[in-house]
Amino acid sequence: MEIAWLIPALCVAAFVLLLLWGRSLPGKGAWVTISAVGAGFVLFWFVLGDLLAKGEATFSWPWFQVGGYQLQVGTIVDPLSVAMLGIVTFVALLVQVYSVGYMHGEPRYSWYFAAHSLFAAAMLSLVLADNFIFLYIAWELVGLCSYLLIGFWYDRPAAREAAKKAFVTTRIGDVGLLIGILVLFRETGTFSILDNLAAATGGHIETGTLTVAAILIFLGAMGKSAQFPFHVWLPDAMEGPTPVSALIHAATMVAAGVYLVGRTFPLFQAAPMALQFVFIIGLVTTLLAGTMALVMSDFKRVLAYSTISHLGLMMVALGSGGFAAGIFHLLTHGFSKALVFLGAGSVLHSTGKSEIWDLGGLWRRMPVTAATFVVAALSLAGLPPFSGFWSKDEILKVVQEGQSPIFFALVVVAALLSAMYMLRLLFVVFFGPLKAENAHVHESPGVMTVPLVALGVLSAVFGLVALDPVGQRLGLSGGFGQFLHASEPFHPDWLLMGGSTGLVLLALGVTWTLYIRRSPDPRVLTARLAPLYNLLRHKYFMDDLYQTIIDRVILAFSRLVALFDRTVVNDTGVDGAGHLPVFAGYHLRFHETGKLYNYGLAILVGAIAIVLALAF
Amino acid sequence: MIPLEHFLTLSGILFSLGLFGVLARRNAVLILMSIELMLNAVNINLVAFSAYLVSTEFVGQVFALFVIVVAAAEVGLALSIIIAIYRSRATSNVDEVDLMKW
Repeated sequence: MEIAWLIPALCVAAFVLLLLWGRSLPGKGAWVTISAVGAGFVLFWFVLGDLLAKGEATFSWPWFQVGGYQLQVGTIVDPLSVAMLGIVTFVALLVQVYSVGYMHGEPRYSWYFAAHSLFAAAMLSLVLADNFIFLYIAWELVGLCSYLLIGFWYDRPAAREAAKKAFVTTRIGDVGLLIGILVLFRETGTFSILDNLAAATGGHIETGTLTVAAILIFLGAMGKSAQFPFHVWLPDAMEGPTPVSALIHAATMVAAGVYLVGRTFPLFQAAPMALQFVFIIGLVTTLLAGTMALVMSDFKRVLAYSTISHLGLMMVALGSGGFAAGIFHLLTHGFSKALVFLGAGSVLHSTGKSEIWDLGGLWRRMPVTAATFVVAALSLAGLPPFSGFWSKDEILKVVQEGQSPIFFALVVVAALLSAMYMLRLLFVVFFGPLKAENAHVHESPGVMTVPLVALGVLSAVFGLVALDPVGQRLGLSGGFGQFLHASEPFHPDWLLMGGSTGLVLLALGVTWTLYIRRSPDPRVLTARLAPLYNLLRHKYFMDDLYQTIIDRVILAFSRLVALFDRTVVNDTGVDGAGHLPVFAGYHLRFHETGKLYNYGLAILVGAIAIVLALAF
Repeated sequence: MIPLEHFLTLSGILFSLGLFGVLARRNAVLILMSIELMLNAVNINLVAFSAYLVSTEFVGQVFALFVIVVAAAEVGLALSIIIAIYRSRATSNVDEVDLMKW
């Protein structure tokens, strides 16, 4: 367990190697990166074994001294961080292998993998970090890598804009996180996460301050996990290469926010208002994104909104006190969402098309992609026995227990929506008639389909670890829930499970009618509900709102400041300081008349002045 | 005894006359003469104060000797300058020697 730090360290080494000698390394550096993450994945199993055998531990090494404070760098090895280690290394490994196929022939291949290494290093450090400063540094690095990878094809203006938008939007949340960390530091005098949590639960910090700190920290999570109103960057982030979307914007980076709330969960539990705030934001987010996912026609955009919606669900779970449910959903969603993104990449790679209405019937040509996509889509929709069903069910259970019936009903609506948009996507792209122009497409190469299958298997069966018998077989007593320190092991709530299954079947029925049988034709529905459709297509006009604010307020203010800088500071201050002596000299020189008597008069006047000054 | 104030008045008048001459005269030699007049006025002042206020010591008179010596040296120097200017510019009118101007 003390070697847990090696996992991110190997990726750092890979990054440096690729940065310096990328092109001369085997496979242009791809295999170095993959080996580093692969080794990390292997080490994860050792760390997991250690954890199960010996229990939790933290390791800390002194870093440097600032003022009177000794900054540390260290790792926490507990079920949460180890679970995150597992998903990050596994999905990163699969995505990198997939990228070997997807990014084949790309000129800046080495830099792509270098950025992947840096991202992996940062994300792994984030989940292991034992103090807030280390966490924050990793947090920012992850944001940087997101920027680099979204804007990978920087000759495309859309990609540049998207990268900027992602970075700036998450940065706004990061400010909140930093202030929250500092508020806690002011109260406890330490940056160590565990010490701060102990202080919070021990009642050493008064509730008002705790609430403020918790909400500020949540702001950071809102930014990274694309919660309302910071969700706007994620759909645009689809401009990046699809494997990047799969890794960063489905399974890992956006999960960092959820992880943060999970890591600081005792803090939120001690400040119930903050927890409810988390719930509300999550609920708004999931409904907002779920409704938008129903009308979008770009393959990856639908998936992006789906991600936002599921992240909202995770926050809903956490906000209702369901720590295990939220983290469990993080894991199942991570596998399934990464899979659907990679599937989308596979389709994009083969057909070159990203509009879902240009596709259709692809199961005939791309059977592996289609099969794995079916598994993942059903998992995300929440059909048993796939993994998504178990985690979604857990979420529904905690909401039912912890929140009012109205909120529960809304979460049920959100769950229904999540089934509907996923099934819509599945039916429109992979089923139905095959269009003539797509008749020539073929399945993707093995290096891309093997990761699909691996993730498919996990999407199918991972959920079963929630069950007691499975968990015990794996050495986790009490099932996964207890592994994550849930309050109780998993009890099947048959009514709820039946109800949610019924919901999925309802969604299946509706979407099959609309998109397979095409009666009524969905376009008819669109025409009937045109104003609503318009609202959703325009993303509730939020992007326009933000753009207006930026143009009218921020840019106007910047123009004002620029004007001040130009006229006052530059023209008057800097240039003026130069022109003043010239001007003064040009006008004062007329005192030098050259005439002796003028000078004599000046001497006389000066002498009189001195005498007067001395006399008075 | 002539009161001290008379000497001081004399000295003041002479100084003012000299000052007027320095500022108002065009001929360089006349300006020099006015300077001399100012210096002599100062001498009168010094000697008067010394004789009337501290009659046992001769501080003022000794200082007046110094002033005379300085005046003499200065006149020699000034006349050389005037001659040099006259040789190059053929004029002793200070109004016309104004090259060091804007």
